[in-house]
Amino acid sequence: MDGLEKHLRDALARKEPPAGFAAKAGAAARRPAGTGWRGWAVQGLAAALVLVVAGGLAYRRHEGEAAKEQVMQAMRITASRLNRIQARVREVRR
Amino acid sequence: MRANQSMVFSLAYHFLHDRDAAEEVAQEAFLALHRNLDRIDSGQHAMFWLRKVTVQRAIDEARRRKRRPSVDLEEMAEPAAGGAAGDVLLDEMLRRMVATLPEAARAVMVLRYQEDLDPAEIAEVLEMPLGTVKSHLHRSLVLLREKLERRGVGEFGWTG
Repeated sequence: MDGLEKHLRDALARKEPPAGFAAKAGAAARRPAGTGWRGWAVQGLAAALVLVVAGGLAYRRHEGEAAKEQVMQAMRITASRLNRIQARVREVRR
Repeated sequence: MRANQSMVFSLAYHFLHDRDAAEEVAQEAFLALHRNLDRIDSGQHAMFWLRKVTVQRAIDEARRRKRRPSVDLEEMAEPAAGGAAGDVLLDEMLRRMVATLPEAARAVMVLRYQEDLDPAEIAEVLEMPLGTVKSHLHRSLVLLREKLERRGVGEFGWTG
């Protein structure tokens, strides 16, 4: 072994992991699969998807309600005008 | 277990030269071991398996991040004096130089000089032909020696 190899062994000697490493590794092992940050990301995406779909449905329902309300309003206006017209016709006949 | 922790963390650290990334890779390796415990039949097998998985994960992480040492080798402080301070600087310089080697050569060098594996054992862990392992070792040593000599660190006496 030459000088360079000796220095490489010193430079690449094993190092201790940061404090708390074992506890974190143990906690990660006890956590059910899919609950790491990737699991949270998947759950977050799923939640976002549900919100988008539910929002879309609610918007469509809202649009439907609004359209229905417009038709009812138009019908009320029409009925009110018809009533007024009928009243005037009755007056004219008298 | 404690020896495995330092082995796994150090493999990742010497490959990535980044403590946070190394810790993450090491945790992933232990988690993978935990999930595959039924396939492990001995302590030696666990160690072999951990080495293999850690190097694979470190390579994946390096590719994902396209991480290279943030300090260019040409900008690094040179070891200016002998003694303990000079050794510390030379060690850091060597670690950075190893971290700039191509992935396969880097994996071979870390397994050789951190884990003290012989070329046949390295070939087994990396699933690489023995001749390729020897070639990586030879070329990496030549390259490191040239870089050190260019920086005035000839045969590891301090010339600066």
